Amino acid sequence: MKLELDSLTKQFDSHVVLNNVSIKVETFRSLVLIGPSGGGKTTLLRILAGLEKPEHGKVYINDKKIIYNEQFLGEYRKGIGMVYQAYNLFPHLTAIENITLPLIKVHNIEPKLALEQAKELLNRFNLYEHSHKKPVALSGGQQQRIAICRAVAIKPAYLLLDEPTSALDPEYTSEVLDLIYELREEGMDLVLVTHEMGFAKEAADMVMFIDNGGIVAAGNPENVLTNPTDPRIQGFLSKVLKHH
Amino acid sequence: MLKKNLYSMFINKSEDGPIKRSVLIFNYILIIGIGVGILLFGFNKLDYNLRWDSVYKYKDNLFDGFITTIIISFLSLIFSTILGLFFGLASRSWFTPLKVLSRVYVEIIRGTPLLVQILIFFYVIANAIGLNNRFVAGVVIMALFSGAYIAEIIRAGIESVSATQRETAKAIGLTKNQTYRYIILPQVITRVLPPLAGQFASLVKDSSLLSIISISEFTMAAREVNANTFSTLESYIPLAIGYLLLTIPISILTQRLERKYKYET
Repeated sequence: MKLELDSLTKQFDSHVVLNNVSIKVETFRSLVLIGPSGGGKTTLLRILAGLEKPEHGKVYINDKKIIYNEQFLGEYRKGIGMVYQAYNLFPHLTAIENITLPLIKVHNIEPKLALEQAKELLNRFNLYEHSHKKPVALSGGQQQRIAICRAVAIKPAYLLLDEPTSALDPEYTSEVLDLIYELREEGMDLVLVTHEMGFAKEAADMVMFIDNGGIVAAGNPENVLTNPTDPRIQGFLSKVLKHH
Repeated sequence: MLKKNLYSMFINKSEDGPIKRSVLIFNYILIIGIGVGILLFGFNKLDYNLRWDSVYKYKDNLFDGFITTIIISFLSLIFSTILGLFFGLASRSWFTPLKVLSRVYVEIIRGTPLLVQILIFFYVIANAIGLNNRFVAGVVIMALFSGAYIAEIIRAGIESVSATQRETAKAIGLTKNQTYRYIILPQVITRVLPPLAGQFASLVKDSSLLSIISISEFTMAAREVNANTFSTLESYIPLAIGYLLLTIPISILTQRLERKYKYET
């Protein structure tokens, strides 16, 4: 996967969230965005997902330019998988219906075939017994794993995950991280915002530290996270890792 | 032991917990008994002889009025649901005149007394467009009236589907129409069913005002009986009971629906 940002700026009213960000990274399988809350990492992810429009600047993913108009984005969003902090499953649909809905209605897959594909996914991630439960009857970890199934069912070009474990009770964190790790091992490209430093080190081949609307450091996890020289990264890591 | 039993007949400290059926029945009998007692005491003081026989002769008129009220309410409910759905959706339209129309309609209907609406509609609008059938006019008025309330119920229902769900729908690539069809409306329908049932109960009672334009519904029938027999209470007490016969089942239905869809959110 390749990513290029060219003087990207995003602001909400007068609050500048991303300030003239430029970077070019090539050939990574999994990019992890880290940094303090409010630093701009989630906004960057949402721009990559085509859910926010930047005021200035250009974004290229895999050498393709993202054009920020609804017509382009409507098509673009169909081809990528998005996973949210709060799972965002549709509460009136069962687990399996949450997965088949985009397959049938957006990707025009035969309902029977869609059902088979969804079953296969649920089976593979040990969720089959929960197929016909509604989200409210599932734990946070199960909901998030189903949300990830929904995102990968469409065979996306890549997966974008916005703090997928932050809303979970700690006991459920590892089952979700395991699933993400498994997907990565299978070759799924992903961009992930997380506070799980251990996971970042283990699963990422590229880490970006984002703070104050800019990229403070980028590189392989060893370089960025082990013995950082930048005081902002040092400060952040000491806080995050304090109780580990 | 006795003291403890007595206590449990009246006190239930588990706020949402179920109350034993026998305890509930006991309390209903107690409260209704007190109510009847007060009424009987009132009649006693009034020194009024209830003369049911004179009113009984008119039982067919009352029954016909009762049926007419049911029919008017039911037809009005259907039309007001259609109106409510239209204006509820229109209130979120990108076409500004439609949005404003919806707003104005809802505010005017909800902000003025039904009595005035009936008079204006019947003597001004219906007259102008040559609508002479009182029954049809009555249904139209009640549908317009109730439609404004249902529009608000629908609008609130749509808005109760969270922004994150809309965004998720967008993110997975659903079009706007698909989002309404597969995500928003299914949830809105289950959420608005209880308030809609409640609105139906209001509709039944509010239709009593149609008697002022001489539509021969239930209240009008009672007024006629009263005019013929001068037995005011004997004419109006069956009226109260008749409306309760309609509204209590609706109220029970409403509570059932609320319980059924509680888990959804």
